[in-house]
Amino acid sequence: MNLLWLRVALALYSLGLLHAVLTVFRRRQRLFRIALGAISLGVVFHLVALVEDGLALGHFPVTSLQEAASLFAFLIACAFLLVYWRYQFHSISVFIFPLVFVLTLTAAMDRSTHYWELPLLRTAWLYLHVSLIILGYTAFFLTFVAGVMYLIQERELKSKKPRAFYYRLPPLDTIDDLAYKSLAVGFPFITLGIITGAFWANAVWGPSWPIDPKISWSFVTWLIYLLLLFTRWTAGWRGRKAAYFAIAGFAATLVTWGTNSGLHSFVSP
Amino acid sequence: MNFCLVGLSHKTAPVEVRERLAIADEELSGALRTVAALPGICEVFILSTCNRVEIFTRAESDGGEVGPILTQFLARTHHRDLSEITPYLYQYQQRDAIRHIFRVAASLDSMVLGEPQILGQVKAAYAVAHATGTLGGALEEVLSRSFAVAKRIRTETGIAASAVSISYAAVELAKKIFGSLEGKNVLLIGAGKMSELAAKHLLHSGASSIFVTNRSPERAQELALLLKGRAIRFEQLFDYAGQSDIIISSTGAPHYIIKKEDGRRLLAGRKNRPMFFIDIAVPRNIDPEINKLDNLFLYDIDDLQHVVDANRKERMREAQQGEEMARQEVEKLLRRLKTLDVVPTIIDLQSHLDEIRRQEIARLRSELGDLTPRQEEAIEALTKGMVNKIVHSPINHLKNLAQQSDGLKVVETVRRIFNLKD
Repeated sequence: MNLLWLRVALALYSLGLLHAVLTVFRRRQRLFRIALGAISLGVVFHLVALVEDGLALGHFPVTSLQEAASLFAFLIACAFLLVYWRYQFHSISVFIFPLVFVLTLTAAMDRSTHYWELPLLRTAWLYLHVSLIILGYTAFFLTFVAGVMYLIQERELKSKKPRAFYYRLPPLDTIDDLAYKSLAVGFPFITLGIITGAFWANAVWGPSWPIDPKISWSFVTWLIYLLLLFTRWTAGWRGRKAAYFAIAGFAATLVTWGTNSGLHSFVSP
Repeated sequence: MNFCLVGLSHKTAPVEVRERLAIADEELSGALRTVAALPGICEVFILSTCNRVEIFTRAESDGGEVGPILTQFLARTHHRDLSEITPYLYQYQQRDAIRHIFRVAASLDSMVLGEPQILGQVKAAYAVAHATGTLGGALEEVLSRSFAVAKRIRTETGIAASAVSISYAAVELAKKIFGSLEGKNVLLIGAGKMSELAAKHLLHSGASSIFVTNRSPERAQELALLLKGRAIRFEQLFDYAGQSDIIISSTGAPHYIIKKEDGRRLLAGRKNRPMFFIDIAVPRNIDPEINKLDNLFLYDIDDLQHVVDANRKERMREAQQGEEMARQEVEKLLRRLKTLDVVPTIIDLQSHLDEIRRQEIARLRSELGDLTPRQEEAIEALTKGMVNKIVHSPINHLKNLAQQSDGLKVVETVRRIFNLKD
C-alpha cells in the first residue's frame, strides 16, 4: 500500500494544526494565508491518496478502520474549507484540526490487515452504508463543534467580560446558522445510511438479522437528531438549548460508533 | 545617514504646553523652509497635531549639534525660552528616530491606541513637506516606508480592531450577536443624546429601521425625523418591542419599564429570535434579571464600560506585537538605506566591472599564446583604461546627483542597470 500522498497531506495538515494552536494565542496572524494554502493542497493530495487507495484495492476504500479514518479526515478538512468559504471565519480550526490530524495520522500508519474479509458481507450496500454514515458523521461533527462554540460565545456575551474567545469566535447568529445547516445536511445522510444498512443486512441475512447493540444505539442517536431538527423547525428552538442537544446527539453518535470499536458485532473478527 | 527627531507629545507635555508649541497649518511651509535653511540640514519633515509636534530631519553630519539646533528653532519660532520648553521635549537619533516615526504613524504612540486619524495626519504633513521641497532623500524613504509599516501593523495586529467608545461597543456587541445588522430593527425608548449616538452607529452599520418612543411625543417626533425613523406612542411600546431586535432604553423612569416577564413574552412572540437590550439609563429601566433568559442579552452602562476596558487591554496586548514589527521594520529599512548609499555603490560598480574585465582576459588568455611581460602589461593597461573611461562619467554623476533630491532613485537605478547585488 502506497501511503506517500497521504503522508504529504498529513504534513500539510500539520500546518493547519499549527494555525489552530496559534489562534488560541494570537488574534491575527500572517500564518493563516499559508495555512489555508497548505490545507487546500493537503485536501488535494488526500483526494489523490484516496483514489489511489481505491484503485489498488479495487473498491471504494471504506472497508477498514484506517480507510474509514482517512475518508472521515478528508471530509472534515473539506468541511473546514467550505465553512471558511461560506462564513469567512477560521477560528473553527481550533476544534477541527486536532481531529483531522489524528485521523490522518492513524490512516497514514502502516496498514494492518483488512477486517472485513468475510466475502458474505461484501456487497455494494456495504460501501454505500459506510460512506453515507461517514458523511453524516462529518456534518454532525460540525453541528457539535458549532454547539460548543455557541456555548462559549454565549457565555462570553452573558458574562459581559470579554476574554480571548470573544474576540476570536464568530457572531452567535453565524454559529447558530452553521449548527442548523450542518444538522439539516447530516440528517438525511444518516437516515439514508441507516436505511442502506438495513438493506445490506437484509441482503446478507434475509429477514432475521443478528441482534447488535450498535443498531439499537444508532436508533437512539437518530431519534435525538430527529427531535432536534423537529423542535428547531416548529418550536423555534435555537441557541443554548439547541447547542446542548447537538452535543448530546454527538455524544450518542460517539457511543454508537464506539460500540464494538467501530464495527458491528457480527463483523468483528 | 544622520536622522534626528525632536518633539513633544501628550506623553511628555500637558495641553497648555502643546498648544503653545504647535505649528499651525498655514505656517507649516514656512517653518519647513526655515529648518531646511539651518546649517547642515538636508531634509525636514514637521508633524504638528493637537497631541504632538515632531521635527524630523536628516543632516549631512551630526556631532550632536542637530538636536539643540532644532530645539532652538522651536523656542525661537514660538518666542519661548529654551529652558522653558526643554523639559517637555524628547530627542531621538538614527534608528530610534525612525522607530519613533513608525510608532507614531502606526498609532502605537497615540492617546487612544490604534486610532485611525494619525496616519492621515502624517500623510498630510508629508504632502506639505514634499510640496515645499524639503524632502527627496533618505528621509522621504523613511516616511513613505512608515505608511506601509503603519498599514501592516494595523492589519496584522488587533490594535485597531475592537471598539473603545461606549456607543461603538454597543454596535460591536450587536454584531457579535446578530452577525450582520442588515434587516434588524432598533427601538429607542427615551430620546437621550447617548441613545441617539448609538442609534446612528447602528444605522450606519446596516440596521434597517428605527422606532422612537418617548414620554413626550414631540421629542420622539423630533428624533425620529432626525434618524429617519418612526415615532410611536409610549403606550404602544410593547406592540413594537416584539418586532425589534435591538432595544435601547434611556428614560428617566424611576422603576423598571421592562420586566423579566415582558422579556419572556417578547421572546415567545418571536420564536426565540435573539434580542439585544441596551440600558443606558440610571436608574436602570430594564430588570437585570432579564439577562438570564436564553437568547436575550442585556447590557447596562457599566457592562458597556467593562467591554470598553477589556477592548483597551486587548489593544494593548496587540500593541506589543506591533512594537516588535516596528523594530523589525526599522532594521529592514536601515539595511536597505545602507545599500542606497553612494560610496558603497561606486565601489560595487568598480569591482563589478573589474571582475568582468578579469574574467574576459582569463577566458581569452590561452588563445593569445606566449606573451612577453611587456605585452602582458599592455593588455592590462588597455583593458583597465577602457573600464575606467566607461565608469568615469557614471561615477561623476552618481557623486553629484546623489546629493540632490531624488538621489536615492538614481543610486537605485544605477544598481539595477549594472545588476549590483544588494
